[in-house]
Amino acid sequence: MRRAAIIAAAVIALGASGVGAYQLAPEPAATSAHWRELAWPFPRDGWPAGRAFRCEGGACDGAELYVRAKRGFCNCDSGVADDDEVDRVADVDLITPRFTPVAPGEVVHVGEMRGRVRRYDLAIHDGASHAAVGVALSRRCDLFVAAAQGRGDASAMQHAALAFLETQEMTAWVVAALDGK
Amino acid sequence: MFRCVLTAAALVLFAGSTSVHAQKQQTIGAPPEASNMKLVGTNDLQARSAYQPTIHHQGDRWIAYIGHHGGTDDVPMPVNPLTGKAEPNGTSIVDVTDPAHPKYLRHLPGQEGKYESGGAQMVRVCDGKTLPKGDPNAVYMLRTFGSEAHEIWNVADPANPALITRIGGLKDTHKSWWECDTGIAYLVSGAPDWRTRRMTQIYDLSDPAHPQKIRDFGLPGQEPGSTGAVPTELHGPISTGPNGNRVYFGYGTNKGGILQIVDREKLLTGPKEPTPDNLRFPEIARLPMSAFNGAHTTFPMLDMPVAEFGEDKDGKTRDIVMIVDEAILNECGEARQMVWFADVTTETRPMMISSYTVPEASGQFCQRGGRFGSHSSNESMAPVYYKKMAFIAFFNAGVRALDIRDPYHPKEVGYFIPAITNATDKRCIPVEGGERCKVAIQTNNVETDERGYIYIVDRANTGLHILELTGPARAVAGLPKN
Repeated sequence: MRRAAIIAAAVIALGASGVGAYQLAPEPAATSAHWRELAWPFPRDGWPAGRAFRCEGGACDGAELYVRAKRGFCNCDSGVADDDEVDRVADVDLITPRFTPVAPGEVVHVGEMRGRVRRYDLAIHDGASHAAVGVALSRRCDLFVAAAQGRGDASAMQHAALAFLETQEMTAWVVAALDGK
Repeated sequence: MFRCVLTAAALVLFAGSTSVHAQKQQTIGAPPEASNMKLVGTNDLQARSAYQPTIHHQGDRWIAYIGHHGGTDDVPMPVNPLTGKAEPNGTSIVDVTDPAHPKYLRHLPGQEGKYESGGAQMVRVCDGKTLPKGDPNAVYMLRTFGSEAHEIWNVADPANPALITRIGGLKDTHKSWWECDTGIAYLVSGAPDWRTRRMTQIYDLSDPAHPQKIRDFGLPGQEPGSTGAVPTELHGPISTGPNGNRVYFGYGTNKGGILQIVDREKLLTGPKEPTPDNLRFPEIARLPMSAFNGAHTTFPMLDMPVAEFGEDKDGKTRDIVMIVDEAILNECGEARQMVWFADVTTETRPMMISSYTVPEASGQFCQRGGRFGSHSSNESMAPVYYKKMAFIAFFNAGVRALDIRDPYHPKEVGYFIPAITNATDKRCIPVEGGERCKVAIQTNNVETDERGYIYIVDRANTGLHILELTGPARAVAGLPKN
């Protein structure tokens, strides 16, 4: 029995020190009915990769949504101050560096986070019009951003994207991502 | 017996965690950690979070002007013992003529607000007799007023500053540069109609009472009316004046850094309307950095002789720019922010040649609390250290003294990490269901004076420490033994 105690202690100590530690593989993401998870489609940049989804069915059919946490943001008190801030941080530039806002943005709340959402036209020369939506939300000194793009109605895409971000599974993930998990 | 197993396991875990913990965290009362640097004097700066120090030789006195961030959640407006009043953080003015006994002269309040949203972070000083149209009896202090304005004060009597002028209406400010011999100032501002928080407003401040705007400047895509991706915001410029005819702009903080080399003459006299073509006109070259790193300070050291190249037929001297990134996140929550050396001798082909970081394992700095990584360097070009030594503020690793005589192989020759005090503020990270906080030194900025003293200030409210080199580090600078 004494040997069992030593083995147990050693196993726990080794685990605590990181020797022999392993990470559980994440379970497949359970997404809501209309958004199917994709691989993150963009090359590495200064921020860690986020998550990507494609809308299947409904008014946002075919739209893609990219979301990620950006930890470390100087405006800890003022948050997302204006539309220029959305232009700068919302990751629309990952889709294309050439985007034009179609109207002033508006204030948006997702969970306990507050920020702004703005719509854009994208300059993608494939003969079709592309719309995008950029979302920037702040939590203390950190940002959560989302960008959606698609060929359908921008208003429907924005509505569907924000509704998806409000789901329990996404709000839980956002909190974890902003906590650096 | 099962209980025994659990107890044994718990003891092993507890013993392991406490011994590691004891090695990592600073404690009040412990001595500073130092190598080839020693403490000469201190001042608590009224326990205000400190940013940029500028040391000015003023008559027969040496005066330190120290900018502050806004207050903290716990103490938004610390009490000034000289007035007995709670005052928003602004500028500390300290007589450091006797560096062993610094004398706090005046606190000049700044903008109300906490952390980056208040205070008066930046400060530069020029003598009136040096400025082309200044009052020869005046000494002018240029400072930011929070995010909303730049101010110029006459600090000829440093205990009784007088406001001269104010340039306001801004959405942000940051680390400006002022040429004392010409009066040209590169003010890091947030012009309301620009798409970035920080760009450059260039002013002629040769007569500080009557500022003359020259132009706005930034990267194409930041200007009013542009669309699409917005380039990285400015952190600060450093000019070599009319003789060097270059301005080195550093963009970015901890990501997407850019060193931009600009022809000063073209910048000042070229077409001023902020169109993409006009913004590109004075640019000589850009050095884009990794997306992992920003450019807080871009410190030029031109025409440096490099001993290793002494026998070469060409390239014996090199033009070097030292680029310092800024760490932002506590407890290593980001890619390492450090120091880079760029050879810009062939200006249109700048190239990174070397780098420096504090070895994390040398102090288990990722576990100590607060930020670990570089923030800024000294910016004095006084001969005592220029092109020989550089001093880097490295947050919880204190200040690091580098031998840069061979910029291809920079070497650390000294360091000083102050002891924490009761005033040192905590730094927190999010954990499950709340926060976990630690207390650690956060050396934010460093400056030197012509006498060779080194001034470091703390972001976590620990105040000012005045240092000098000891031992072999003095020989690097050619200082006599002490």
